[in-house]
Amino acid sequence: MDMLDALHISSAGMKVQGDRLRVTAQNIANADTAANTPNADPYRRKTVIFKNELDRASGVEKVKVDRIVEDKGEFRLKFMPSHPGADENGYIRLPNIDTLVEMMDMREAQRSYEANLGMVQISKAMLGKTIDLIGQ
Amino acid sequence: MLENIGLMKGISGKMNWLNQRNTVLSQNIANADTPGYRPSDLEKVDFGGVMESSRNRPRINQVKTDGAHIGASTKMGDSKSKVTKDVYEAAPAENSVILEEQLLKAQETMADYNMVTNLYKKNVGMIRLAIQD
Repeated sequence: MDMLDALHISSAGMKVQGDRLRVTAQNIANADTAANTPNADPYRRKTVIFKNELDRASGVEKVKVDRIVEDKGEFRLKFMPSHPGADENGYIRLPNIDTLVEMMDMREAQRSYEANLGMVQISKAMLGKTIDLIGQ
Repeated sequence: MLENIGLMKGISGKMNWLNQRNTVLSQNIANADTPGYRPSDLEKVDFGGVMESSRNRPRINQVKTDGAHIGASTKMGDSKSKVTKDVYEAAPAENSVILEEQLLKAQETMADYNMVTNLYKKNVGMIRLAIQD
């Protein structure tokens, strides 16, 4: 156990939340990415799954992105007969993305990031107190 | 040398414990969104007991001249972290980290650390005063 371990762990937590934010941004950017041919699938919503894993270099457990999985939810349908991806009834399939859900996910990632940042500040303050012991 | 003074030993032991606890709490917060993760906390140490035992111990320790000798160690061992059993609530993904609770504990740890380092400073100041005169 080392004083800097806490900082490493918190920074891993922040990195992971950053990755989550990146995926959420990708989802929002692709909210209207429909397929160009009638039978192809449009963009599928992606979600991140985290995992706590031992980092052999530092000897502590750090949180990591385990895998990025696809949301199996239903696609939205929209009546657009002139679209090249429309089926025989004139509907196109749009990604299974609800921007409201994505916004909430973003907020949650932001709050978790802030919590990790708070932990960094606490660890830093403690480290500072220890260093202060030299200066007396 | 200062480690042989009972109070100093207690203080450094407490600092070590607080550092470890801070690491454990960082771990909990970093895993606030990991499925299946359960928060842990460090086992509490009775520092009054540590002080008491260091006071009752003979002042002169035997010297270890061989690796096989079992001497009276003057160092305190590391505490074990334990998974918290009774949690307030758990998310559907079986994650039971509550950020508020963890941050509160972290603040508590920092306040204790402040206190202990100040205590250490005061002590060293007192010793210095005794040496000067």
